[in-house]
Amino acid sequence: MEQGYIENGFIVDVSNAKKTSEIIYQLSTILDLPDAHCKKVCLKLGDIDLSTSELMSIKALVESMNSEIEFVTTLSRITVESAMELGLKVSELENKVPTPEFNQDEESAQATNKELEKALDKIFGDSGLDEKTFHAEKEMKKLKAESENAAPIELTEFKTSDSIAEETQPEEETPEEVEEPEIAEPSSVATPEFSEHIVQNDEPVENEEDLKEEFAELEDFNKQLDEVNKEVMEAYDDEADDFAQLQKSLRETEKLPTLYIQRTLRSGQSITADGNIVIIGDVNPGSEIKAKGDITVWGILGGIAHAGADGNKYARIRALKMHAIQLRIADVFARRPDSINIPYIQKTETFVPEEARVKHKQIIISKLHEN
Amino acid sequence: MDGRVIVITSGKGGVGKTTTNANIGTALAKAGKKVVMIDTDLGLRNLDLLLGLENRIVYTIVDVVEERCKLKQALVKDKKNPNLCLLAAAQTRDKTAVTEEQLKDICEQLKKDFDFILVDCPAGIEQGFQNAVAGASEAIVVTTPEMSAVRDADRIIGLLEAKEEIKSYKLLINRVRPNLIKSNDMMSVDDVVEILSADLIGIIPEDTGIITSTNKGEPIVNDDKSPAGKAYKNVARRIMGEDVPFLNLEEDTSIVGKMKKFFSGLMGKEK
Repeated sequence: MEQGYIENGFIVDVSNAKKTSEIIYQLSTILDLPDAHCKKVCLKLGDIDLSTSELMSIKALVESMNSEIEFVTTLSRITVESAMELGLKVSELENKVPTPEFNQDEESAQATNKELEKALDKIFGDSGLDEKTFHAEKEMKKLKAESENAAPIELTEFKTSDSIAEETQPEEETPEEVEEPEIAEPSSVATPEFSEHIVQNDEPVENEEDLKEEFAELEDFNKQLDEVNKEVMEAYDDEADDFAQLQKSLRETEKLPTLYIQRTLRSGQSITADGNIVIIGDVNPGSEIKAKGDITVWGILGGIAHAGADGNKYARIRALKMHAIQLRIADVFARRPDSINIPYIQKTETFVPEEARVKHKQIIISKLHEN
Repeated sequence: MDGRVIVITSGKGGVGKTTTNANIGTALAKAGKKVVMIDTDLGLRNLDLLLGLENRIVYTIVDVVEERCKLKQALVKDKKNPNLCLLAAAQTRDKTAVTEEQLKDICEQLKKDFDFILVDCPAGIEQGFQNAVAGASEAIVVTTPEMSAVRDADRIIGLLEAKEEIKSYKLLINRVRPNLIKSNDMMSVDDVVEILSADLIGIIPEDTGIITSTNKGEPIVNDDKSPAGKAYKNVARRIMGEDVPFLNLEEDTSIVGKMKKFFSGLMGKEK
């Protein structure tokens, strides 16, 4: 990874990334830094081919931190096309020529690199501590579950749908869980290897043992591929089940009574409803909403929101601006990351409506129009 | 372990009770003591914000009292210091949700596991104050060198003296501005001590760093350069029984101050 500075912004070099998820992971690590907010980002991509939707999710990630992509450099023609489609400034590099931005102010770039490294260390240090508290709180949850005979509440930080695949939180992952992006990777990574084998087979091979070994390898690989395929199919079946349940629950939520509130909820006020809640106004920090169905806030959601309070894990929370201190859906729990420390949200901002829902026992937040 | 229960109170609002609580608590925890802070300001809680723990609160003191969770479950551990815990107040309830007996009971339970229990008292002298004081055996009265704050502190000290449980109370003077005292625009520390005739435990200078630290959710004692942070650390040391001299606020350490001193010295010699 390499970073440099441009005017009111910085360059992010993710040219070594071979997968979209890697780019997103690296980018989110950098964007998590407090210095990285509200800046222009110059994204330096390698020869990776990005589709429009992939690039759009990267763009959304950058924009979620109030930054914007100023410029994209890439070695791939496909990425160029997708970038053009999204209206991003782009330049295709024929060869791996270093961009001029990197040569100028090399000293300052190095200095900022050091700063960034320090900041990164700090963040990782912090996350370590977070994990400790995380465990403590998890234990707390366990105790609570024992006392109430309820299912254990999972505690996670907010995640966007983009970063969820890359986040490594072994506590959260159950072994049978299979995530789509992960499944797709082995086959795509392995394909070049496969073709290599064929090429080698075309060449005259004198040693028979070598040939046997290669065949064995090939068979092994085929087996692996079968396993992966099987997993994919199982995952699809699960998804299908999930989808049917979701449809059913959506119909049920529709039947619930809806409480309609046209004012701003202030600190200390709490609203509980047996059905859905719609609030036209802000939900300020310090207030609480609890609904058996969905919660929709036409404004800034800054307080605590608990949807699906009677255990409906398909319940959703939507808001024009999702800035909740805590989100709870059924028995899943998420808190706002410590890295987001904005005292107040400017109301002049153009809001992008977001939706929180449960996926793989975690609460994830995604842009509303992406569903 | 038999912990000390100290209530931090003032009568008047806005003099820095919560800030004092957060900073003394953090300083004590940094010194290796096990500290728990109880926010009894139900409905107007702030202590969690100052410590940056708002997003971690799951259960509050009301949940403990109404037996929705165990006391240990409601203790929120600090981000940095494992010795420091917070028992948060409920934001959606009012002062009547907890009674004096219940708070006393909570303090008794916490005494077993902690060295210090700091109780953050709400402003006023109503139920909230009575609750906060109920479990405490020591008190720190926070005031500023302003007539209204001193008057309210006097009232509070009177109420504290009437309580049998409060064995001792100390005075902490917050937001002291040496420049204004010099120009006779502000009551001096000595004046305040004289009016209230109470033992002093700390003098905290006015520090703009407090504002940023509050907004960041990080107590100012974590900043080694801040004058207020230093003063709070000294207060914590005095609470632990050390004999620490008070910060000399009179000395002007700015260049202009030093030059003034130099010139006034010259003038004095000439005469």
